[in-house]
Amino acid sequence: MNSSHQRWLLEQLPQWEREGLLTADAARTLRERNAVDDSQPGLAQIVMGALGALLIGSGLIAVIGYNWDDFSRPVRLLFAFLPLLLTQLFSFRVLQRGEASSAWVRETAALLQALATGACIALVSQIYNLGGDWPDFLFWWMLLSLPLAWVLRSHSVAIFYLIAIAIWSVNQVDRGRPWFDSPLLYPLLLLGLLPYWPGWKNQAPLSVSVRWVMTISAIFGFCSLEIFVIPRSSDYFSGYDAQSFFWLWTLTAAAFALFPLSQNGNEEPIRRKPQVVLGSLWLLGYGVAATFRDVSDDILKGASHALQLPCCWALLTVLAVFVLLASLRKRWAVLAIASVALLPLLTIPFVQSKHAYDSTFLSWLVTLHLAVIGITLIVLEFAGKKGAPRLGATLLSVLIIARMADSHFSLLAKGVAFIGVGVAFLAFNILMSRQLKKKQAAIV
Amino acid sequence: MKTLPLIIFGLAVLAQWAAPLSQIWTHEQVLAKGTLIKLKCSAPDPYDPLRGRYLAVRPSQSQAAVPAGVELKQHTQVYAVLTTGTDGFATASSLSPTPPASGDYIRVKTGYVYEDKAWIEWPFDRFYVNEKLAPEADKWFAENIRSVQGITAEVRVFNGRAVLEDLSFDGKPFREILKARVK
Repeated sequence: MNSSHQRWLLEQLPQWEREGLLTADAARTLRERNAVDDSQPGLAQIVMGALGALLIGSGLIAVIGYNWDDFSRPVRLLFAFLPLLLTQLFSFRVLQRGEASSAWVRETAALLQALATGACIALVSQIYNLGGDWPDFLFWWMLLSLPLAWVLRSHSVAIFYLIAIAIWSVNQVDRGRPWFDSPLLYPLLLLGLLPYWPGWKNQAPLSVSVRWVMTISAIFGFCSLEIFVIPRSSDYFSGYDAQSFFWLWTLTAAAFALFPLSQNGNEEPIRRKPQVVLGSLWLLGYGVAATFRDVSDDILKGASHALQLPCCWALLTVLAVFVLLASLRKRWAVLAIASVALLPLLTIPFVQSKHAYDSTFLSWLVTLHLAVIGITLIVLEFAGKKGAPRLGATLLSVLIIARMADSHFSLLAKGVAFIGVGVAFLAFNILMSRQLKKKQAAIV
Repeated sequence: MKTLPLIIFGLAVLAQWAAPLSQIWTHEQVLAKGTLIKLKCSAPDPYDPLRGRYLAVRPSQSQAAVPAGVELKQHTQVYAVLTTGTDGFATASSLSPTPPASGDYIRVKTGYVYEDKAWIEWPFDRFYVNEKLAPEADKWFAENIRSVQGITAEVRVFNGRAVLEDLSFDGKPFREILKARVK
């Protein structure tokens, strides 16, 4: 239950007590169980604080951008350092007040200081006509701002940092860069957030918005890293490179979906686990694409090429550990979806000949595998266990449409089949809605 | 008040001051002690969203010779040895992976390397101007595009570092020419 649900529940309790729906003891227990942690800022507070700070910071940058060339260099340098000093004093005061400072003030102070830091570096480089690439500027700006996310527990600075490290990594994929100036640094940069999450006492919860940004940042960061480590003879990508990326990204998606969770994390609703949502979406899309022979042909070539790379084996090792941990937590549904990524490994020994790959085996294996997953998700629900019947039905429908699309049947036959699948899908949806109503009626 | 967050905050504040101050120190050293060299260049007028209007300084020399026996890689820092010609303009006469023992030199980045030549990225590429002057620079370039003299970049170099001090045309500071046109 998130904090807005808890607040709503706490607001209802006095009324329910008055109406006799709850005893005083029951109400007290509910209050204790659903106590709202007010030290965590609400979304509206973050947005308002961040917006105010952003406006002031942007104004500051625009004033600097005017370039006051009538003033001497020392005066212009004073313009650069004065806002930085003021924002630092503001943050210090907020830090000094500790818990007495409200969450939105902390957010505003941290974001203002981060923006003043960026503006100061920008103005110094303007005064001295320094060149330099914007990724270098971004790199130093985000590093100098990172401690503010730790000490002021600022969500907006953490989000800025996560976006910045992803943009920086994507920009550094060119061949021939030293490791410390390449996406190989991304995992270390991501670890830089550790004092913010899980925090000094290993207890800090992560808000849903930061989770989503962190997942998207990690996707871009790790995918850039994989592009960088694949050896290339030139600045351009060959067909083999692209095919290898595709499979390595799929293994990464599987690792994301299977990322180890605590028991509490495992029980959280799916929308609070963006790594599972985005990882599974990629894997299902990849699975459906792999049912087409042309695509599975490319996947096989890419997998064979990638298996010669040490980074691929490192990724497979990480994945094996995650599979083991997910098995211990009994995350069968996610394991079933993630297993789609490993199907090329099963087929490579059987289909590789000297001159070509016969990908028919892989495309049929993936079709069968996805069909089994779809059916299992439906059957689990009817067997009284936790399933996902609508997802299962969607998967089966997409598979039928995909097979019909690449078949040699006439347009008339395909049209009839599509209508049939559509009707069956709608009928299944109606059936599931009735089942749900019956269940709810039984509970009442 | 907890001590650890305060210590970290203090260190962050120090770092936020140290980063720009170290830049200022380095560039003031170059401006105070560096040798003044002149480079032929062009300078059209783009825009930086963070730092405002600037003139993109493009030295006319974009390649330099790689001495025989020296192997240079792409995207690496090397040293361009500067030689001043009879016309008073400096050129990068050769590239070296290590700083030369004497003479003026600038640290540059290599681009594409081909046989005995390498493309170079100069360490300065922009000259910031007031946003009132920048559009005037565009007009000036349109009118003087066929000028054989071109713009001169006045650069101070010291221990491989370079600071673009001014742009000039026909011996006059370019900024002053633009200011006179605006009036």
